[in-house]
Amino acid sequence: MQSLSTSSIEGILVSLSSVVMLLAAFGCLGSKLFNRYVAYYGVQSLVLSFACAVVAYHYASVQLWVLAVITLAIKGLAIPIATRRLLLRRLELKRDVAISTGLSTSLIIGALLTTFSYLAIRPQDLPHGLVASSVVPLSTAIILLGALMMVVRRHTVAQLIGWLITENGVFLGAITLVATFPFIVEAGIFLDLVAAVLIMVVFVSGIARSLAEATSVELMELRG
Amino acid sequence: MIALVVLIVLLPMGGAVGALSGFGAKGSGQALIAASLGSFVACISLAATIGLRHVQGSEGFLYVDSLSVYFALIITLVVVLAAFGSAAYLRVEEDRGELSPLQVRLYFVFFSVFASGMLASVFAGNLGLLWVLIELSTLASAVLVGLEAKARSLEAAWKYVIISSFGVTIALFATLWLFYAGSALHLTSNQRLTWAYLFVHAHALQSGSLRLAFLLAVVGYGTKVGLAPMHTWLPDAHSEAPSPASAMLSAALLSTGMYAIIRFQAIAKLGLGNAYPDHVLLVFGFATLFIGVIFMVRRGNYKRTFAYSSIEHMGIVAVALGFGGVLGLYGALLQVLNHAIGKAVLFLSTGHFVLGYRTRESSQVRGALAALPFAGGVLVVASLAVAGTPPFGVFLSEFTIVRDGFAGSTPILAAFLLLLLLVGFVALVGTTLAMATGDAPTEPVIPYPRQSGRILAGLPLVGGLTALLILGLWVPGGLNGLLVHAVHAIS
Repeated sequence: MQSLSTSSIEGILVSLSSVVMLLAAFGCLGSKLFNRYVAYYGVQSLVLSFACAVVAYHYASVQLWVLAVITLAIKGLAIPIATRRLLLRRLELKRDVAISTGLSTSLIIGALLTTFSYLAIRPQDLPHGLVASSVVPLSTAIILLGALMMVVRRHTVAQLIGWLITENGVFLGAITLVATFPFIVEAGIFLDLVAAVLIMVVFVSGIARSLAEATSVELMELRG
Repeated sequence: MIALVVLIVLLPMGGAVGALSGFGAKGSGQALIAASLGSFVACISLAATIGLRHVQGSEGFLYVDSLSVYFALIITLVVVLAAFGSAAYLRVEEDRGELSPLQVRLYFVFFSVFASGMLASVFAGNLGLLWVLIELSTLASAVLVGLEAKARSLEAAWKYVIISSFGVTIALFATLWLFYAGSALHLTSNQRLTWAYLFVHAHALQSGSLRLAFLLAVVGYGTKVGLAPMHTWLPDAHSEAPSPASAMLSAALLSTGMYAIIRFQAIAKLGLGNAYPDHVLLVFGFATLFIGVIFMVRRGNYKRTFAYSSIEHMGIVAVALGFGGVLGLYGALLQVLNHAIGKAVLFLSTGHFVLGYRTRESSQVRGALAALPFAGGVLVVASLAVAGTPPFGVFLSEFTIVRDGFAGSTPILAAFLLLLLLVGFVALVGTTLAMATGDAPTEPVIPYPRQSGRILAGLPLVGGLTALLILGLWVPGGLNGLLVHAVHAIS
């Protein structure tokens, strides 16, 4: 089994995908419309599923093919559609007004986090010439951008998207850093289950009315 | 032995079977009590035979050593106590019509899945499997937190799931880095995640990646444990869940998260030397201890105060792990057990006040000793015990930890620990004494109208306090042996 090198066609494709995924994360962070959040997340998941398929093709790994299909079906299609239909349309969510930090400030913080992730991962720790050394810092940046999104947005749906972006970042790191990780498919399924639970919590229950109309700023009953 | 482990893990599902075959709170509760008692007895017999051995099964997916048996013992004990409490509490909520039959059934099903998930995770030899099982128990417990389906409990459930899912995602990233750290080893990919192999080859792991893996694991699993600053879900979830479920969250779930951190720490200590893991845990531990104590001073919802006390205790355990001596490790493990029993009793006793006074605000609970002599007495004694008064078990384990701190290189830290413990003591006991004293309310306070409910709710309180008293007077020989072997298994 040959490792994925930066110069191979597969390596270039995965590197490009990771850059597109990073841009999608920045796109979310720089947007104010719920529609766009979901659109950027959908694009990011589709690209992740493509990258996953490329790695699966390279290693001829069945479990990565399975992961690619699951990512395409659930993260690329099901979650964006469910979010649009169940949350955005029903609750008439358009503009996100519950933003604690201005868009430009959060973009600058995002850029700093991207720099930080390069410093923290220190590409020299990763084997030289392999695609992991260029992709893993980017995946770390995506994780941090997702976390930033959860911090600067107060709306529950925006926080949900932030967490989903974080999850995409972890899986991008997983398929390039450790393609043979045994629990990757199970982990994917479980995290998708969590996403489903989160969408349910926002939608099915009274939280849909009392929380989604308002923002989590008004969720002040439980504090201290 | 493997059959015994399977029995321990699967038995708590008896409650789910009871609920799914159509029984109400009474039948399901009895099924759960019987099943959890069975699991506890099976666990004791496993503890009696394990000794210094460790047993692997199913290609390393299953791993039993004294540390996992010790944590299983804690979890099964808490499950037994909470099963009694659940049977009583849910019966009352069902009679009052506050929970529909469906909600009662959901409670027992997910309570059982939660218990089994945690028990399975301490017997998982594979760190990837450990991650999957801890995530499973998170999902099951989220249902318990949001069960009452009021806006407040749903808010708590949302906060709980989103924050702990984020933590668990970080823990997955930690597991990936640990896996990567072993890429130079000549092992199969499953073996590279198996605890037994990782522990033996810890010195050969790539140190940069191992460092990252350990730090991410402390942050990720620390979110489950309630280490500051990732603790914010904990008070909400504990205050909104039904009281027996709060007991499970506080006493069993936090311990399971701590178990994962202890395993990662053991690998990191062998691979990186003692300094780095110890310092990380000391920093997180003191931050947690500080936050817990500060917020306990604020009076308000009493279940929140007890939740902050859990945060405080997890901080103490992290500090003890960070002190790094053998004595500190022994004290940390003992502290997990004592805290689990004490906090289970305390949260179960809150069931009496939530049902009787119908409020969670400590300022509205007055004269508990006069109105509910038994529950009020338990509240005062249990809070004294949890705060670390002799002759109860928590005193002994905290004493051990502080002693290890003074014996180490930085006695100033141990002095700081003592100071924080003192503030925590005053805050916790102050809250419960204010609740216990004063004039009883004019109308009678009746938490459990049925005689059977009073017995079911009272038994775990008496049993738990007796166990804490025994543990404070001396650590029984068998338990001491198990603890020593557990310390040996990870150092």
